[in-house]
Amino acid sequence: MSPSPTDATQQNLHTPAHAGEISKNSFGLGVRRTLAIARNAFREAVRDRVLYNLVLFVLLLTGGAIFLGELSGGQETKIIIDLGLSAMLLFGVFIAIFVGVGLVYKEIERRTLYAILTKPIGRGQFLVGKFLGLCLTLAVNVAVMGIGVSLALIFIRRGWDPLAVRIWPAILLIYFELTIMTGVALLFSTFSSPALSALLTFFVFLIGHFSSDLKGLANTSPSSAARVLFRALYYLLPNLTTYSVITPAAHGLVPDAQALVLATAYAVVYNIVLLALATLVFSGRNFK
Amino acid sequence: MSKNLLLVLTIVAGLVVSVVLVRAIDSRPNPAQKQFADESLYVDAATAKHLALAFNGLAADWYWMRSLQYVGGKIVAFEDTHNESFALSDLDLHLLPSLLRLSTELDPQFIAPYEYGALVLSELNSDAAIALVNSGITSNPGAWRLYQHLGYIYWKRNDYENASATYAAGAKLPGAPEWMAAMGARMKAEGGSRAAAREVYRHLYESSNDRAVREMVEKQLMRIDSLDQRDEIRDLLSAYKTRNGRCAASWRDVANDLRAAQLRLDPRSGAPLDPSSTPYELIKNGCDVGLNINTGVPFK
Repeated sequence: MSPSPTDATQQNLHTPAHAGEISKNSFGLGVRRTLAIARNAFREAVRDRVLYNLVLFVLLLTGGAIFLGELSGGQETKIIIDLGLSAMLLFGVFIAIFVGVGLVYKEIERRTLYAILTKPIGRGQFLVGKFLGLCLTLAVNVAVMGIGVSLALIFIRRGWDPLAVRIWPAILLIYFELTIMTGVALLFSTFSSPALSALLTFFVFLIGHFSSDLKGLANTSPSSAARVLFRALYYLLPNLTTYSVITPAAHGLVPDAQALVLATAYAVVYNIVLLALATLVFSGRNFK
Repeated sequence: MSKNLLLVLTIVAGLVVSVVLVRAIDSRPNPAQKQFADESLYVDAATAKHLALAFNGLAADWYWMRSLQYVGGKIVAFEDTHNESFALSDLDLHLLPSLLRLSTELDPQFIAPYEYGALVLSELNSDAAIALVNSGITSNPGAWRLYQHLGYIYWKRNDYENASATYAAGAKLPGAPEWMAAMGARMKAEGGSRAAAREVYRHLYESSNDRAVREMVEKQLMRIDSLDQRDEIRDLLSAYKTRNGRCAASWRDVANDLRAAQLRLDPRSGAPLDPSSTPYELIKNGCDVGLNINTGVPFK
């Protein structure tokens, strides 16, 4: 019988044997422990059949886009990219939400969290490990779905299509958006039930795509209090419109390097904030 | 085992019955569906863009394909109930401007709906077509093809001055082909000529990837060829009348003249064939030539 992911996590956590080593190389050890949790979170996610079904569904949709394109009056390529990347984003968000909200909750429900937290591992390390594990899972999924879209483009052109490569910066930005959604799901899962966490995360996804409206409201609202409120919401909530480049990608437009760097930096910083907040909440929870 | 077999049989039988039921439902007249089929779109372009979140490109594709299906559906419905050929203006396509507008507002870089609007919408409402293509030019200032389409709409309106100015403006854009400047000059000099029309349609045909657009342009080229042929046949009929003091009783009367003019003839009736290979008809007691009602050549 193969060991459960949690058993494996515990084995990995035992690796740094004695206190002398820990004091000498505590940072490296912390990283190794976090990575061990990430690895096991990835294994746990990969074993989830729902994940495969979602990825398969996206690939089927991409395949379906080839046939749908025939009804588009010569716009097959655009249809494939729009449908393929939109499905990738939508189902990626579903994966991030439904797997993300269960990451911590499952450990609490199975009571395996108690065993993990008795080991020399911080609650923050535990959350970061879980987050990285799901991000790795999403990276693999997004890569598989992206390859599916590229192959569909090559198939429809009956040969090489430069768009098969030019869509990848947009795919990268979709991935960063998904990591933010993972962070949000993880944050909610530290203090609420999976159903409520999923709902709240989905609301954040919706609001994140209305961020330009929040900015507009902040600029046009007659009340100064409302202006402050909307401006605060605009800056505090994730600005997901930055990652909405599917439509330009369908026209072969690639975001410039500066836009990519800024979007990447924003995702990294925002995820750090989310993980810090999640750790703060999670540290305050009493599991007795 | 027998339980599983029973379940499989239930599934198969259920599916068969559901197919039968769907066919029965489809065969029933549904006045409510007909009543609401052409209902106005309640979502305006700005709202649709908001609601589409990050999926505005996909929503634009949806409205684009809906536009094509809408026009295609109307054509099929007309052909099912009428025997004669038709022009787009014979169809009630009142939703088309909104559908195209939604598609282009959702994805302003999507050129195909502008092109379709220029060629199809201009037949119904040239003001709406001009507004649509102008919005495309605002969103895509470097797209010379949109100037070509706008020039086409002006040309169709016999507004050769504006057509000339539009072609000339498009010719100045980077990547614009040399013929754009030539078209600008030609519109000014001989905008109403058949040669200019052939030139306009030829360039539209060459620059479009849209199958429906190319088919439509092909038909217009056939119409121009047919106009030339009919002029030629009319001359022959007129010469016959001068020679014989009466109009031709049948195509056999002018068979030699038609052959000499190298026109394709129907082997059975000896009638000259139009570009869609349908025999022309003798009209006005043999003094004139006209298109057969079943021809593939558009009447206008």
